[in-house]
Amino acid sequence: MPKQPINVVLNGKPVTLEVEPRTTLLRALREFGVTSVKRGCEEGECGTCTVLLDGKLQKSCMVLAVEAEGRKVVTSEGLLGPDGELHPVQKAFVEEGAIQCGFCTPGMVLAAVDLLNRHPDPTDEQIKEGLSGNLCRCTGYVSIIRAVHKAAAMLKERR
Amino acid sequence: MLAFEMERPASLKEAFEILSRSGPDTAVKAGGTDLLVWMKKNLVHPELIVDLSLIEELKGISFDPSGGLVIGALATVNEVAEHPQVGKFYPALMDAALSHSDFVMRNKATVVGNLCSAVPSGDMIAPCCVYEGVMHLVGPAGRRKVPVMEFITGPRKNVLQKGEIVKSVELPLPKGHSAGCYLKLGRRNALDLAQVGVACVITDGPGEREYRLSFGAVTPRPVRAKVAEDLLRGVVSPDESLLDKVAEAAMACVDPITDVRASREYRISMVGELTKKALRKCLERF
Ligand SMILES: Cc1cc2nc3c(=O)[nH]c(=O)nc-3n(C[C@H](O)[C@H](O)[C@H](O)COP(=O)(O)OP(=O)(O)OC[C@H]3O[C@@H](n4cnc5c(N)ncnc54)[C@H](O)[C@@H]3O)c2cc1C
Ligand code: FES
Ligand code: FES
Repeated sequence: MPKQPINVVLNGKPVTLEVEPRTTLLRALREFGVTSVKRGCEEGECGTCTVLLDGKLQKSCMVLAVEAEGRKVVTSEGLLGPDGELHPVQKAFVEEGAIQCGFCTPGMVLAAVDLLNRHPDPTDEQIKEGLSGNLCRCTGYVSIIRAVHKAAAMLKERR
Repeated sequence: MLAFEMERPASLKEAFEILSRSGPDTAVKAGGTDLLVWMKKNLVHPELIVDLSLIEELKGISFDPSGGLVIGALATVNEVAEHPQVGKFYPALMDAALSHSDFVMRNKATVVGNLCSAVPSGDMIAPCCVYEGVMHLVGPAGRRKVPVMEFITGPRKNVLQKGEIVKSVELPLPKGHSAGCYLKLGRRNALDLAQVGVACVITDGPGEREYRLSFGAVTPRPVRAKVAEDLLRGVVSPDESLLDKVAEAAMACVDPITDVRASREYRISMVGELTKKALRKCLERF
C-alpha cells in the first residue's frame, strides 16, 4: 500500500508524516523519532502510547495516523517549557520517585496533566479514575498519586 | 495488521456513494476501538474501511423532553457520561458509561459502536434496553427505526443490511419520576469486560410503579426479564421474599456461557444477587 503524507502539528510545530492507511498514530510518531510514545500492548490496554490529540487524551495505538490529519498532537516532549525546563507534573514525578523503569511515565504524565486541567485540586479517587487507563508495573501507584498531589500544589502556586 | 484502503467521507451522502460501489469486504468505523483490535487479532480482514468520524450529521447528543435523548453515532462514551441530562434522567446509562473501559478509551469508544459490535458483554446494551432505546438506521433503501432489543440478533450480529449504517440511538424519556442503575461485575475496577451486568429502571409513569430489568454478558441477545418485571409491577417497596422470587425469575431468563472470565453457574448465581442489589440501589435512589 503506497504511503501518503499527513500534516499534523506536533508539539507546536507543523510536520509531515508518511503513513499507510493501516499505520497507527503510535507507529507513525515512533517512526518520526518521537520515542517517548511507547509501544506496549498495541491493544488499548496499557496506556504507554497515550498522547493529547486536539487536547484530548487518546491511546495512539487506537488511532489511525490518517485520523490525525490537520490536528494537534502533544507528547511528553511537548510539555517542556521554552528553555527546556520540566513541566511541574514531570518535576513532581522525578521528586516523588514516581518513576522506576520509566516505561509508563510519558503516558502517565500526560494523563496527569489532563486530569489536573479538569480537576486542579483532585481527590485520590479522581486521580485513580483519571489515571485508570495507564498501567504501571513498577511503582504500585502510591508514589504516582503523591506526585500528582504535589504537582497540583506546584501548579496552584504558579497561578 | 493487514493492509487496507481507507475512505473518509465528509457527509452521509458521500458515505452512501462510497458504500454503494464498495465490495463485500468493507467495514465502517466510528471510534475503531473494536475494529482495530479485531483486525490486529486477524478476526476480520476488511479491504476497505469507511471512516465515519468526519461526518457532522453523526456527531453530538441532543435532549428534548418530549422525544428523549438522541445519541449520535459518533458520540463517545465520555461525551455521554458528561452530558448533564444523562446524569439526571438516565442514571443507568451514566453508571454503565463510567464502567466502560477506562477514562482514555472512553474518549474514543462510541456508544453506538458498542451496540453495533453486539458483543454480549457490551456495557451499553443493557442500559439501552431498559430505556427502550431505538436505533435510527439510514441506508440505500431509506430510513428505518429498530428497537435495540431487535437490532442485536446474536453475538456480534445485528440487522444492518449492506450499505446501511446507524445514525443514532434514541432513548425515550421515562414517564414520571424514575430512578436507575447499572451494576457490573468484573475482576477489577477499570478495563475489564463484564462477567455480569444488570441494568434496572423504576418509573412511577402515568399508572402504577413499573420496573425494567436487563442483563449484560449473560445472554446471546438482549433480553428483558419480563416475568421478574411483572412480579414487581405496582409494588412500591418489595420485601425480601418478593426480591428472592424476582431473583429466581431473573436467573431463569439468562443463558450465559463459560469462558476464561467466569463459569456459567457462577454467572447465573451472580445474576440473582446483582438483580436484588440493583433493585435495592434503585429504590434508594428513587
Ligand atoms: C482496551 C479496551 C477496553 C474495552 N473495554 C470495554 C468495556 O469495559 N466495556 C465494553 O462494553 N466495551 C469495551 N471495549 C470494546 C469497545 O471499546 C466498545 O465496544 C466501543 O464502545 C465500540 O465503539 P467504537 O466506536 O470504537 O466502535 P468501532 O470499532 O468503530 O466499531 C465497532 C463495530 O460496529 C460497527 N459500527 C460502528 N459504528 C457504526 C455505525 N454508525 N453504523 C454501522 N456500523 C457501525 C463497525 O463496523 C464495527 O463492526 C474495550 C475495548 C478496548 C480496546
Ligand atoms: S500500546 Fe497503546 S494502550 Fe498499550
Ligand atoms: S515505572 Fe515502570 S511501568 Fe511504571
